[in-house]
Amino acid sequence: MLSVKNISKKYPSVTALNNVSLHIPQGVCFGLVGPNGAGKSTFIKIIASVIHDFDGDIHYSGQKPRIGYVPQEISLEDTVSAVDNLSFFGKLYGLRGKKLKRRIDEVLDDTGLKERKKDKVKTFSGGMKRRLNIGCAILHEPDLIIMDEPTVGIDPQSRLHIFQMIERFKKEGRTILYASHYMEEIERLCDLAAFIDKGKIVENGPVEELLKKYAVPSVFVKGENCLPDDIGQYGKVTERNGGYFITTNAPLEVMEKIIGHSKRHNSQIEQLELVKTRLEDVFFSLTGSQLRD
Amino acid sequence: MNAIIVLEMKKNLQDRGLFFWSVILPMIFTVLFISVFTSGAGEEESREIILSIVPGFTIMFVFFIMISMTESFLKDSQTGMVARIASTLLPANRYLLGKWVSFMAIVLIQIFVLLLFGKLVYQIPLEQPVPLLVLSVLLTFTVTGIGLALAVIVKTNNMGIALTQVIALGGALLGGLWVPVEMMPDILQKTSKLLPQYWAHQAFQEAMAGTLKMSLFWQSSLVLFGFGLAGFILALIWYPRFLRRAKG
Repeated sequence: MLSVKNISKKYPSVTALNNVSLHIPQGVCFGLVGPNGAGKSTFIKIIASVIHDFDGDIHYSGQKPRIGYVPQEISLEDTVSAVDNLSFFGKLYGLRGKKLKRRIDEVLDDTGLKERKKDKVKTFSGGMKRRLNIGCAILHEPDLIIMDEPTVGIDPQSRLHIFQMIERFKKEGRTILYASHYMEEIERLCDLAAFIDKGKIVENGPVEELLKKYAVPSVFVKGENCLPDDIGQYGKVTERNGGYFITTNAPLEVMEKIIGHSKRHNSQIEQLELVKTRLEDVFFSLTGSQLRD
Repeated sequence: MNAIIVLEMKKNLQDRGLFFWSVILPMIFTVLFISVFTSGAGEEESREIILSIVPGFTIMFVFFIMISMTESFLKDSQTGMVARIASTLLPANRYLLGKWVSFMAIVLIQIFVLLLFGKLVYQIPLEQPVPLLVLSVLLTFTVTGIGLALAVIVKTNNMGIALTQVIALGGALLGGLWVPVEMMPDILQKTSKLLPQYWAHQAFQEAMAGTLKMSLFWQSSLVLFGFGLAGFILALIWYPRFLRRAKG
């Protein structure tokens, strides 16, 4: 679908992107993961043709695809209705007449906003606005849908609705570029992912492979005096979520050690579990920084 | 571009705040000022006062559209609307033109309604309708041209409001919209001739009374067109910077 080569974007005070190269195949959901300020939005704006002055190349296999861009901000006119907004963006994408009307109806169905179509957008909840924000970008049935943090600040119900929409787009064979700092969303939705930090791609590939490649199991333990003094020799101990994560290649041994220690010292273990490696841990091991920094 | 015009018109026509200060407030001011200045005046004198106040307040209040223009551009910039529109098929200059045309329409409607109000309530004469129409279009061009420049240059709403107040109220005071120019000191009389408000007011009054000479018509038209064009050119020069800022 598209390849970017050596893309750089410099602002007077900061280099937002530094020689970024990526390949996004047709029909996949491609996750772009990184903390705030990593360069995700700049990259997305370049692909969405919002920013034109950058160094590097974008190459499309075949014709340039129709692109639908869902910005991070809720970019809607809130003093008019949902239909007015859809009609506005539909016209900007070149739709007219019956086709525009049909697509507006379909998008209202997709976004679950049919009942509120004539209401002013300012009366909508945050989740409804987010759904309409997406709706305005898919009116022209784009081949490439670019979504920049589309679920920020919304309720679980709307988040689920958006996930279902994205899964539908995937089934329809559309390519999705999905930027987020929510790892669980990338794990759930994306086939491929790239980690971006300080304007550079630090790793990219299929999500499953990334998890396997960087998989280091952890043991999580919570409870008073249940951690043996010499546990550090088995791996790295990090205090988090009211307990301790022990990142180790010998998780069962660590668990046995903790249980034995608790029995001997008569201490109470509240929680002891083997933790599956998540993308967040992969990102942490690659960059040394947390995603929600 | 039509999509921009339609959306902007819809938005503005539904805006009760805009309706209040662009139509209702000028009407209230007109009635109040006419009541005060005509009390105790003779019929002829009252007619002259009305003939000065109705176009005077019309001209003064059309300049306040610059606040709405600034707010509209800033809001689009801050909500990511400009960036989003840039990702569509619409060329960047059409956004600017679409916004401009819609505000032109709003100001023309405003002038029409305020003059109609004067006609219906105070029976003001509209003796030379064609020159009046041309002058109205040119005044609209002046106001929206300067407004467009302001809208792409300022970075905050407060800055927009402050500069609009200076242009609208300062221009009204010095341009003779509140007090007849003849009653001002010499230096201010000379200064007033540098302002579009003065020329618009003189030409409107004469055209309404049916005494507008071609020389004043052309002179006023040129001044109004010149100010509008200067604003428009300034807006075009500044627009790429506005776009860069808005796109992030």
